[in-house]
Amino acid sequence: MMETNFDRSAPGFDTVLIANRGEIAARIQRACHELGLRTVGICSEADKAASYGDAVDTFLCVGPANASKSYLNQDALLLAARLTGAGAVHPGYGFLSENSKFAAAVEKAGLVFIGPSAQSISTMGDKIAAKRAMIAAGVPCVPGPDTALPEDADEITRIADEIGFPVIIKAAGGGGGRGMRVIHDRADVREAAALTREEARQAFGNAELYIEKFLRHPRHVEIQILCDTHGDAVWLGHRDCSMQRRHQKVVEEAPAPGISLDVIGPVGLACVNACKQIGYRGVGTFEFLFEEGNFYFIEMNTRLQVEHPVTEMTSGIDIVQSQIKVALGQKLAIDQDAVLCEGHSFECRINAEDPHTFLPSAGVVADIVWPHRDGVRVDTHIYEGYKVSPYYDSLIAKVIVHAPTRAEAIAKMRVALAETRLEGISTNLPLLRALFEEAAFVEGETDIHFLEQWLKSWSTP
Amino acid sequence: MSKLDLTDTATLAVLTDMLTAAGVEGLEIKTADKQLRLVIPTSGKTGASSAVDAKVGTGSARKAMVKAPTAGQFQTLNTIDGKPFPRQVASNDVVGSVRIGLVLVPVIAKCAGLLLNPLVKQDDLVSYGDPLFEIELQ
Repeated sequence: MMETNFDRSAPGFDTVLIANRGEIAARIQRACHELGLRTVGICSEADKAASYGDAVDTFLCVGPANASKSYLNQDALLLAARLTGAGAVHPGYGFLSENSKFAAAVEKAGLVFIGPSAQSISTMGDKIAAKRAMIAAGVPCVPGPDTALPEDADEITRIADEIGFPVIIKAAGGGGGRGMRVIHDRADVREAAALTREEARQAFGNAELYIEKFLRHPRHVEIQILCDTHGDAVWLGHRDCSMQRRHQKVVEEAPAPGISLDVIGPVGLACVNACKQIGYRGVGTFEFLFEEGNFYFIEMNTRLQVEHPVTEMTSGIDIVQSQIKVALGQKLAIDQDAVLCEGHSFECRINAEDPHTFLPSAGVVADIVWPHRDGVRVDTHIYEGYKVSPYYDSLIAKVIVHAPTRAEAIAKMRVALAETRLEGISTNLPLLRALFEEAAFVEGETDIHFLEQWLKSWSTP
Repeated sequence: MSKLDLTDTATLAVLTDMLTAAGVEGLEIKTADKQLRLVIPTSGKTGASSAVDAKVGTGSARKAMVKAPTAGQFQTLNTIDGKPFPRQVASNDVVGSVRIGLVLVPVIAKCAGLLLNPLVKQDDLVSYGDPLFEIELQ
C-alpha cells in the first residue's frame, strides 16, 4: 500500500480519473502516484495497449477509437468515474480540458474537476469577455474595442481607421487560427467582415466578431500562473513559443530570450492580479504577442499546457502535482518571492509525421533510443512495438533539456536530438535537428512567422 | 431501494444520461398508473453498443466472441435464470448484462450456438469491447 503524503484532513479525494491519453496521461499518472493517490486510466479501443495501462491502478476502455465516442464522451467518462470510485477528474490538455460544460458536469456529479471552475473556463473561452476581464485587471491588450463589432460596415471601417491598418477581425468563439482574417486596406473591410461573420456563424454558432491591431512581427510569449482556492496566486516565469507551424507549437523555451524582468515583471503581476479578481484556481497560461517591447494579451488557456515541462525545469516546481494539491484544497506552498527561475530550458515536440509534408505517420515503432544524461528529460508514452494510431494527435514524445545558459541548453538539445533514434515510423526529428543548427534560431528572439518562412527553404541534407 | 419518481425531471435527465452513455436506444417503464418511454436519438455520441462480435477459427472449431457493449460490471446470465453453462443460445438472445449504476445494458449473442462459460466473473469491472463469452458455432 502506497503511503500518502497529502493532508487527509482537507476536503478531497484519493482516486483520480485521468480523462486523457498519450504522454500527458502517463505524466499525470506519475504525479498522482508520487502524491500517494490512486489512479484510474481510461482509453479507447485503439489505446488498449497503452504503456500507462499497467501503471494506473484501474484501466478501463470506455469506447471505440473515435474520440467522440471515447475521450470526448462526457457521459461515459463520468460513469467510468462512478464505476471505479474516482473522486476527481484530471482532464489533461486537449479533449475536454477547456469544456466548461464538462467541468460543470463533473462537479454536479459530486466529483472534483482538477482545473478551474466552469465559470472561469467559460469567461476565458469567450474572447471578448476575456479581454474585458484583462483590461479591468490591467493586463496589456492589443489595441481595439473590447466590444463586439457592430453590423454596420461603415462603422467597422471607422473603428479600423482608428486602430490603424493592418487590423485583424476575429470570431468571438474562434481559436487556433480559425475564424480570423487580416485586413491591410480599408477598401477590403466590408467584404472581410461579412465573410468572417458568416464563417463564425457556421463554424462556431456565434456570429460575434471583434477587431484589433494586427502585429507584423510578434513573438509568442506566455506566462504560467498557479492559483489556490485561498486567494493566493503566483506566476512561474515565462516561455517563448514562437516556433510554430500553422499555429501548432514545435519548440518551446523558458525563459523567453532577451526580455528583462523589468519589462515582464509588471505583466506577470498583472496576470496574478487578474486571476485573483476572477477567482481563478489551478494552473493557467496567459498568452501574449510581444513586439517592440510591448505585450498584447491574446488569450488565456485554462488548463495544463503541453509545454509545461520547460517551466518545471527552470522553476523547479512540479506543475502537475501543484494543480492536484490545489484541487485537494491545499494552500500554495510558495509565495512569489520564493519563485526563482534559473537556467534555460527547451522542449522539442517529437511528432510521428513526415518532416517535409507533415502528413501523420502511423505504424509500429521498431526501435527506440532516448538520450540519457543530466538535464535531459523525455516525456513519452511510447515503447518498442508501440503502434502509432492514426486516430489521434501525432505527438509521441517531448524531449526537454535544462542548462545554466541558453547557449548551453542549445548544445545539450543538439546532442539529445542526435542521440534520439526512432525506427519504423517517420518523425520530425530531422527538422528539429536542422532547426537547432539554424543561425537565426540560435541567436534567438525570432518571431512567430520565422518557422514557416524557414521551412520554405529547408531540405534534409 | 427508494421508489423511482417518473415525473421528476432530474431523475429523467439522469436516466437519459445513463442510457446515452451506455448506448441504449430507449427505455420503457410501466407501473399501475403510469407509463414512461424514453427514446435516445441514435445519431448521438456513443457507440457503446457497437462492440462487434468476432468470429474466429474454422470448421467444427469455429467460435464467435461476445464482447462487452460498454464499460461496467458484468452480470452473468445464470444469475437471472439459474441455468448452467454451456447452454444453447439463439441469435439475438440476451446472454448477460453490464451494469452501470441503475442501468443494465444487455449483452446479446449475435449468432446461435453453444454458449460456453463466461470469460469474466460476476460483478467484474469490464471495459468496452472486452471478451465476455465464446459461442461454438453450429
